[in-house]
Amino acid sequence: MSIRKLPVLVMIVSLLLVSATIWAGGQNEADGAQADGSAPIKIGVAAPITGNWAEYGLGFEVATAMAAEEINAAGGINGRSVELVVMDSKGDAKEATAIARQFSDDDDILAVVGDFSSTCCMAAAPIYEEAGLVQISPTASNPNYAGLNEYMFGVMGVQSAEGPFVGEYLLGNYVGAERVAVVYLNNDWGVAAKTFLIETAKEIGIDVVAEENHVDGEKDFTALLTKIQQSNPDTICLVTFYNECAIIANQVAQMNWDVQLTALGPGASEQIIELGGANVEGFLTSTPFFATNDGVSRASAFKTDFESRAGFTLNVHSACAYDALNMVAEAMRNSDVLSRESVRDELAGMKGFEGVTGPIEFQPAGDIVRKYLIVGIEDGKWVQMTDYSYAE
Amino acid sequence: MYVLQQLVNGICQGSIYALMAIGYALIFGVVGLVTFTYGEIIMLGAFSAFYYFIVFGDNLILSLLCGFVVAGLVGIVVHKVCYQRFLDAPRYISLIATIGMSMFIKNLAIIVFGSTMKGLPLFFEGQNLVIAERTIDGVRQQLSLTYLQVVVIVTVVVLSIALTLFLNKTRIGMRLRAVSQDRKAAALVGVNVKNTTLLGNCIGCGFGGIAGILLGLYYNSIIPTMGGVAGLKAFSAVVIGGLSNIAGAAIGGISIGIVENLGIAFIPNGSGYRDVYAFLFLIIALVIKPEGLFSRRTGTV
Repeated sequence: MSIRKLPVLVMIVSLLLVSATIWAGGQNEADGAQADGSAPIKIGVAAPITGNWAEYGLGFEVATAMAAEEINAAGGINGRSVELVVMDSKGDAKEATAIARQFSDDDDILAVVGDFSSTCCMAAAPIYEEAGLVQISPTASNPNYAGLNEYMFGVMGVQSAEGPFVGEYLLGNYVGAERVAVVYLNNDWGVAAKTFLIETAKEIGIDVVAEENHVDGEKDFTALLTKIQQSNPDTICLVTFYNECAIIANQVAQMNWDVQLTALGPGASEQIIELGGANVEGFLTSTPFFATNDGVSRASAFKTDFESRAGFTLNVHSACAYDALNMVAEAMRNSDVLSRESVRDELAGMKGFEGVTGPIEFQPAGDIVRKYLIVGIEDGKWVQMTDYSYAE
Repeated sequence: MYVLQQLVNGICQGSIYALMAIGYALIFGVVGLVTFTYGEIIMLGAFSAFYYFIVFGDNLILSLLCGFVVAGLVGIVVHKVCYQRFLDAPRYISLIATIGMSMFIKNLAIIVFGSTMKGLPLFFEGQNLVIAERTIDGVRQQLSLTYLQVVVIVTVVVLSIALTLFLNKTRIGMRLRAVSQDRKAAALVGVNVKNTTLLGNCIGCGFGGIAGILLGLYYNSIIPTMGGVAGLKAFSAVVIGGLSNIAGAAIGGISIGIVENLGIAFIPNGSGYRDVYAFLFLIIALVIKPEGLFSRRTGTV
């Protein structure tokens, strides 16, 4: 090493030393605060904030932040404030497991809200189990997910309920479909959802004439659509999310094909209207939750607040994320001695929780059964459909 | 009829791959290196059109030009950062630099453009060119091209011809080819290798930008992460075609498109395996002819 570089080296070393000291000092401070029980309670949030499902992930981020702010404004949990640690899983199972490890290793984190897709949640499940950490997913609805281990919870409602609803009420009663082509996303959620859907559809006498899958991120559906057109369906049922729904609607329009489009999964997503425009008029989908601006209900106030912060329309997934965080807070309030274990026990035994999406009470496996609604796009807006037998 | 329709779908998709592959082959030729930033160049081209449409309105031809210029300029930056400084260094350094550049551009794009999918305006909505039509057992079958497919194919063909003429009939084109064939010999006969490489990289990236716009228009959706698979497909097409062979790259791209669509058409519930067909085809092609199906010379890798 030349003599000229020496001062630089000395500077770097001393900088490192200084920062290490500061860091160590900070650590001690945190430990001290922890001991007297006034430090914030940390809750992890894992969501696909970037990537193909970003609308949902951003919704998670905004909704959980809103819930945390409300909790803190109301005095926190037994005097301690809530702090969220948000991580971006990009909708990738590999990222989700890496995040699970980070959350598990951080002893301050007492529960995790997330992830979005069943695939990510299921990949992370064994890691959370090992750490004894609760993962409460706002959206995972694969029927196998919540039963994986006792630390897994889901508030969206399982596919063993939504699939049959779409089959019987949306396709059967409302549309009156006779020949249905099913296009589904090839992941844990998609396969489970379409299996239940097709089972019910066949039971009530609907002819499922074609069944095709696609992978996440697919853009070109021309070959797939040309293929299912051969079997002459009167209705297409898409078991997938908003991006694909909009792209398929556009490509169906390009083909000049007059066919009813229905979906299970995207919910009343604003992105569909933005990407599909006139091509998604008449598009129908099921959803467990649909907020209207009636100005009185709790859901309406939540919707207004959410939309002013997020800049896009409230979807069911975000509402579920809001409820999930509130449930975790409720479980923490009920704990005598707050620990990861107590959060789990209190969640599993919680009775009478009333969320913006309705009452939530876990079944023994850790999931719930919901009622569903049919919503559709009319004049570029989501509206709730009521003229079918199940409607209240 | 059904087979023909799927063939048409395949050719149309394949022609976008072909355009990407042509640009890639040009870059590979003059720079002599595999690049990993190409996918991101494609993405930037698509986004430049997105903003062009917002600011200046829906003019298809000018937006393509805009994509070409933007992607070309980014190509210059990539060249300055990733290649120029490392011309005499071991080759893997440039390679790693392009990987880093790719991640940088992609993540910067997520921050600047936002991570959600965006739609480009719809051109020629619902307008088809019906070539033949028949009804069998109540099922309507037709062989048709959407206007958008026609525009895509015509654009690709015109650009390919223009590039071929440019490379063979102009002095600059000849310099490009000379550098592509042998850098040292080209330098010895008085070609400015540095500037020629820069120009080739620039034009190649410009083609990538146009391909990105066509991709975005065809699927009516663009997203900052769209470059990954697109870049890989372009690379595969180039490898099948014999690396720096322009015509080979085009044929490689079109054949990948056809293979993918026919795979989807004939394998039951096989729509999810698009990439399996494409890359299986690549492997088979390499096993049969490792130097590329249309390569005239060997040993450039």
